[in-house]
Amino acid sequence: MTDPASHDPIAFDTLSRGDSLPPVALSITEADVLAYLDATGEDAARWPEHVPPIMLDALMLGVLLEQAELLPGLMHTGQEHESRRAVRIGEPITVQFTVASNSVRSGATFAVFDAEARVGDEVVATMRASVMAPPAGQTVATGVTA
Amino acid sequence: MTALPSAEVTRVIDQSHVDRYAVAAHDMNPIHRETSEAYAGPFGRPVAHGMMVLALVSEAMTDAVGAAWAAAGALKVRWRSPAFPPVRVTARATLKSDVDGVATYDIVCEDESGETLLTGTASARLA
Repeated sequence: MTDPASHDPIAFDTLSRGDSLPPVALSITEADVLAYLDATGEDAARWPEHVPPIMLDALMLGVLLEQAELLPGLMHTGQEHESRRAVRIGEPITVQFTVASNSVRSGATFAVFDAEARVGDEVVATMRASVMAPPAGQTVATGVTA
Repeated sequence: MTALPSAEVTRVIDQSHVDRYAVAAHDMNPIHRETSEAYAGPFGRPVAHGMMVLALVSEAMTDAVGAAWAAAGALKVRWRSPAFPPVRVTARATLKSDVDGVATYDIVCEDESGETLLTGTASARLA
Protein backbone atom coordinates (compact mmCIF):
# COMPACT_ATOMS: atom_id res chain seq x y z
CA MET A 1 0.00 0.00 0.00
CA THR A 2 2.72 2.48 0.94
CA ASP A 3 6.38 2.88 0.27
CA PRO A 4 8.40 0.57 2.50
CA ALA A 5 9.47 2.32 5.65
CA SER A 6 12.99 3.50 5.11
CA HIS A 7 13.66 4.86 8.56
CA ASP A 8 12.77 4.41 12.20
CA PRO A 9 9.64 6.13 13.51
CA ILE A 10 10.17 9.72 14.56
CA ALA A 11 10.19 10.21 18.33
CA PHE A 12 6.94 11.88 19.33
CA ASP A 13 8.54 14.41 21.66
CA THR A 14 10.72 15.72 18.83
CA LEU A 15 7.71 16.71 16.72
CA SER A 16 7.08 20.45 16.77
CA ARG A 17 4.43 22.72 15.30
CA GLY A 18 5.17 23.33 11.64
CA ASP A 19 7.27 20.22 11.13
CA SER A 20 6.49 18.40 7.89
CA LEU A 21 6.93 14.66 7.72
CA PRO A 22 8.33 13.12 4.56
CA PRO A 23 5.77 12.59 1.79
CA VAL A 24 4.68 9.00 1.28
CA ALA A 25 3.26 7.36 -1.83
CA LEU A 26 -0.05 5.60 -1.32
CA SER A 27 -1.78 3.39 -3.83
CA ILE A 28 -5.18 1.98 -2.90
CA THR A 29 -6.13 -1.17 -4.75
CA GLU A 30 -9.52 -2.78 -5.24
CA ALA A 31 -8.42 -5.48 -2.79
CA ASP A 32 -7.59 -2.79 -0.22
CA VAL A 33 -11.08 -1.30 -0.60
CA LEU A 34 -12.75 -4.70 -0.32
CA ALA A 35 -10.78 -5.54 2.83
CA TYR A 36 -11.74 -2.22 4.39
CA LEU A 37 -15.42 -2.63 3.52
CA ASP A 38 -15.39 -6.19 4.81
CA ALA A 39 -14.26 -4.83 8.18
CA THR A 40 -16.65 -1.87 8.30
CA GLY A 41 -19.62 -3.76 6.87
CA GLU A 42 -20.52 -1.29 4.15
CA ASP A 43 -21.80 -2.74 0.87
CA ALA A 44 -18.85 -3.03 -1.53
CA ALA A 45 -21.22 -2.58 -4.48
CA ARG A 46 -21.40 1.11 -3.57
CA TRP A 47 -17.69 1.61 -4.18
CA PRO A 48 -16.77 -0.08 -7.47
CA GLU A 49 -14.70 2.83 -8.72
CA HIS A 50 -13.89 5.22 -5.90
CA VAL A 51 -12.27 5.09 -2.48
CA PRO A 52 -14.64 5.71 0.44
CA PRO A 53 -13.56 9.10 1.79
CA ILE A 54 -13.10 7.97 5.37
CA MET A 55 -11.09 4.98 4.17
CA LEU A 56 -8.67 7.49 2.67
CA ASP A 57 -8.37 9.18 6.06
CA ALA A 58 -7.86 5.81 7.74
CA LEU A 59 -5.04 4.89 5.40
CA MET A 60 -3.48 8.31 5.79
CA LEU A 61 -3.51 7.74 9.54
CA GLY A 62 -1.84 4.40 8.84
CA VAL A 63 0.93 6.35 7.15
CA LEU A 64 1.27 8.53 10.24
CA LEU A 65 1.49 5.46 12.45
CA GLU A 66 4.36 4.22 10.29
CA GLN A 67 6.16 7.55 10.44
CA ALA A 68 5.77 8.62 14.07
CA GLU A 69 6.38 6.81 17.30
CA LEU A 70 3.27 5.14 18.73
CA LEU A 71 2.90 6.37 22.29
CA PRO A 72 1.43 3.85 24.76
CA GLY A 73 -2.33 4.32 25.02
CA LEU A 74 -2.45 6.78 22.12
CA MET A 75 -6.07 7.70 21.36
CA HIS A 76 -7.79 9.45 18.51
CA THR A 77 -9.96 12.25 19.88
CA GLY A 78 -11.11 14.21 16.84
CA GLN A 79 -11.14 14.11 13.07
CA GLU A 80 -11.78 16.59 10.29
CA HIS A 81 -11.97 15.71 6.61
CA GLU A 82 -12.58 17.51 3.35
CA SER A 83 -12.90 15.86 -0.05
CA ARG A 84 -12.00 18.08 -2.99
CA ARG A 85 -13.03 15.36 -5.41
CA ALA A 86 -13.67 11.62 -5.38
CA VAL A 87 -10.49 9.56 -5.43
CA ARG A 88 -10.44 6.70 -7.90
CA ILE A 89 -9.19 3.30 -6.88
CA GLY A 90 -5.60 2.88 -8.06
CA GLU A 91 -4.79 6.57 -8.41
CA PRO A 92 -1.22 7.36 -7.31
CA ILE A 93 -1.64 9.43 -4.15
CA THR A 94 1.00 11.25 -2.17
CA VAL A 95 0.32 11.86 1.50
CA GLN A 96 2.14 14.38 3.63
CA PHE A 97 1.61 15.23 7.29
CA THR A 98 2.36 18.47 9.08
CA VAL A 99 2.42 18.91 12.83
CA ALA A 100 -0.20 21.50 13.81
CA SER A 101 0.53 21.22 17.54
CA ASN A 102 2.20 18.94 20.06
CA SER A 103 2.27 19.59 23.78
CA VAL A 104 2.34 17.88 27.16
CA ARG A 105 -0.07 18.99 29.87
CA SER A 106 -0.30 17.33 33.26
CA GLY A 107 1.65 14.40 31.89
CA ALA A 108 -0.70 13.82 28.96
CA THR A 109 0.37 14.37 25.36
CA PHE A 110 -1.94 16.27 23.02
CA ALA A 111 -1.14 16.57 19.33
CA VAL A 112 -2.83 17.64 16.13
CA PHE A 113 -1.70 16.57 12.67
CA ASP A 114 -2.78 17.99 9.33
CA ALA A 115 -2.44 16.02 6.12
CA GLU A 116 -2.97 16.51 2.43
CA ALA A 117 -3.58 13.81 -0.14
CA ARG A 118 -2.40 14.81 -3.61
CA VAL A 119 -2.64 13.31 -7.06
CA GLY A 120 0.21 15.02 -8.84
CA ASP A 121 -0.07 18.68 -7.90
CA GLU A 122 -3.81 18.46 -7.18
CA VAL A 123 -4.98 18.30 -3.58
CA VAL A 124 -7.80 15.76 -3.56
CA ALA A 125 -8.46 15.58 0.19
CA THR A 126 -7.33 17.07 3.46
CA MET A 127 -7.67 15.86 7.01
CA ARG A 128 -6.86 16.91 10.56
CA ALA A 129 -6.45 14.34 13.32
CA SER A 130 -6.34 15.13 17.02
CA VAL A 131 -4.73 12.57 19.30
CA MET A 132 -4.03 12.23 22.98
CA ALA A 133 -1.92 9.89 25.07
CA PRO A 134 -2.66 9.74 28.81
CA PRO A 135 0.04 9.71 31.46
CA ALA A 136 1.48 6.24 31.90
CA GLY A 137 -0.83 3.96 33.85
CA GLN A 138 -3.84 6.26 33.78
CA THR A 139 -7.22 4.79 32.85
CA VAL A 140 -9.66 6.84 30.84
CA ALA A 141 -13.37 6.14 31.31
CA THR A 142 -15.06 8.51 28.87
CA GLY A 143 -14.50 11.67 26.92
CA VAL A 144 -12.08 10.32 24.37
CA THR A 145 -11.74 7.22 22.36
CA ALA A 146 -9.22 5.53 20.19
CA MET B 1 -29.69 13.86 -5.85
CA THR B 2 -31.39 16.06 -3.29
CA ALA B 3 -30.34 15.89 0.33
CA LEU B 4 -32.41 13.51 2.42
CA PRO B 5 -33.74 14.91 5.71
CA SER B 6 -31.99 12.17 7.64
CA ALA B 7 -30.08 8.92 7.29
CA GLU B 8 -29.21 6.24 9.80
CA VAL B 9 -26.91 3.24 9.78
CA THR B 10 -26.80 0.61 12.54
CA ARG B 11 -24.22 -2.12 12.74
CA VAL B 12 -22.69 -4.45 15.29
CA ILE B 13 -18.93 -4.07 15.69
CA ASP B 14 -17.34 -7.15 17.23
CA GLN B 15 -13.73 -8.03 17.88
CA SER B 16 -13.38 -9.90 14.58
CA HIS B 17 -14.39 -6.74 12.72
CA VAL B 18 -11.88 -4.75 14.75
CA ASP B 19 -9.11 -7.24 14.02
CA ARG B 20 -9.86 -7.15 10.29
CA TYR B 21 -10.06 -3.37 10.37
CA ALA B 22 -6.63 -3.17 12.04
CA VAL B 23 -5.11 -5.04 9.11
CA ALA B 24 -7.10 -3.22 6.41
CA ALA B 25 -6.36 0.23 7.82
CA HIS B 26 -2.78 -0.54 8.80
CA ASP B 27 -3.58 0.49 12.37
CA MET B 28 -2.10 -2.15 14.65
CA ASN B 29 -2.31 -0.06 17.81
CA PRO B 30 -2.50 -2.82 20.47
CA ILE B 31 -5.23 -1.04 22.46
CA HIS B 32 -7.68 -2.25 19.78
CA ARG B 33 -6.86 -5.94 20.00
CA GLU B 34 -6.85 -8.75 22.54
CA THR B 35 -3.44 -7.81 23.89
CA SER B 36 -1.92 -7.28 27.29
CA GLU B 37 -1.38 -3.65 26.27
CA ALA B 38 -5.14 -3.23 25.78
CA TYR B 39 -5.93 -4.57 29.24
CA ALA B 40 -3.17 -2.47 30.80
CA GLY B 41 -4.08 0.54 28.67
CA PRO B 42 -6.25 3.58 29.15
CA PHE B 43 -9.58 1.76 28.79
CA GLY B 44 -8.70 -1.45 30.57
CA ARG B 45 -9.83 -3.58 27.63
CA PRO B 46 -9.82 -3.52 23.81
CA VAL B 47 -11.66 -0.63 22.20
CA ALA B 48 -12.83 -0.34 18.60
CA HIS B 49 -10.98 2.06 16.36
CA GLY B 50 -12.71 5.43 16.41
CA MET B 51 -12.39 5.45 12.64
CA MET B 52 -14.58 2.33 12.50
CA VAL B 53 -17.36 4.27 14.18
CA LEU B 54 -16.70 7.16 11.81
CA ALA B 55 -17.03 4.77 8.86
CA LEU B 56 -20.72 4.40 9.77
CA VAL B 57 -21.08 8.19 9.58
CA SER B 58 -19.55 8.13 6.11
CA GLU B 59 -22.00 5.42 5.11
CA ALA B 60 -24.93 7.43 6.46
CA MET B 61 -23.75 10.51 4.57
CA THR B 62 -23.56 8.49 1.36
CA ASP B 63 -27.15 7.48 1.99
CA ALA B 64 -28.07 11.12 2.62
CA VAL B 65 -26.39 12.89 -0.29
CA GLY B 66 -25.19 10.15 -2.66
CA ALA B 67 -22.08 10.67 -4.73
CA ALA B 68 -21.71 14.22 -3.45
CA TRP B 69 -20.30 12.78 -0.24
CA ALA B 70 -17.22 11.32 -1.93
CA ALA B 71 -16.87 14.22 -4.35
CA ALA B 72 -17.35 17.21 -2.08
CA GLY B 73 -17.99 16.08 1.48
CA ALA B 74 -16.53 17.41 4.70
CA LEU B 75 -16.86 16.58 8.35
CA LYS B 76 -15.67 17.59 11.77
CA VAL B 77 -16.26 15.17 14.63
CA ARG B 78 -15.14 14.47 18.15
CA TRP B 79 -15.27 11.14 19.90
CA ARG B 80 -17.09 11.29 23.21
CA SER B 81 -16.89 7.74 24.56
CA PRO B 82 -15.11 4.55 23.61
CA ALA B 83 -16.87 1.74 21.75
CA PHE B 84 -16.15 -1.59 23.40
CA PRO B 85 -16.73 -4.57 21.10
CA PRO B 86 -19.13 -6.20 20.75
CA VAL B 87 -21.19 -3.04 20.43
CA ARG B 88 -24.23 -2.10 18.36
CA VAL B 89 -23.56 1.35 16.93
CA THR B 90 -26.08 3.65 15.29
CA ALA B 91 -24.83 6.59 13.22
CA ARG B 92 -27.43 9.24 12.53
CA ALA B 93 -27.21 12.23 10.18
CA THR B 94 -29.95 14.86 10.52
CA LEU B 95 -30.25 17.70 8.02
CA LYS B 96 -29.56 21.02 9.72
CA SER B 97 -29.50 23.32 6.70
CA ASP B 98 -29.54 23.22 2.92
CA VAL B 99 -28.29 26.58 1.73
CA ASP B 100 -26.65 27.61 -1.54
CA GLY B 101 -26.23 24.02 -2.59
CA VAL B 102 -24.51 22.90 0.61
CA ALA B 103 -26.35 20.41 2.80
CA THR B 104 -25.17 20.34 6.41
CA TYR B 105 -26.03 17.59 8.86
CA ASP B 106 -25.77 17.13 12.59
CA ILE B 107 -23.99 13.87 13.31
CA VAL B 108 -24.31 11.60 16.31
CA CYS B 109 -23.29 8.00 16.98
CA GLU B 110 -24.70 6.07 19.92
CA ASP B 111 -24.35 2.59 21.30
CA GLU B 112 -27.27 0.32 22.19
CA SER B 113 -27.57 1.83 25.65
CA GLY B 114 -27.85 5.35 24.27
CA GLU B 115 -24.31 6.35 25.21
CA THR B 116 -23.05 9.02 22.83
CA LEU B 117 -19.90 7.82 21.08
CA LEU B 118 -19.32 10.63 18.61
CA THR B 119 -20.78 14.01 17.71
CA GLY B 120 -20.11 16.56 15.01
CA THR B 121 -21.24 17.95 11.69
CA ALA B 122 -20.90 16.83 8.10
CA SER B 123 -21.69 18.63 4.89
CA ALA B 124 -21.59 18.18 1.16
CA ARG B 125 -21.85 20.47 -1.82
CA LEU B 126 -24.60 19.03 -3.97
CA ALA B 127 -24.01 18.80 -7.70
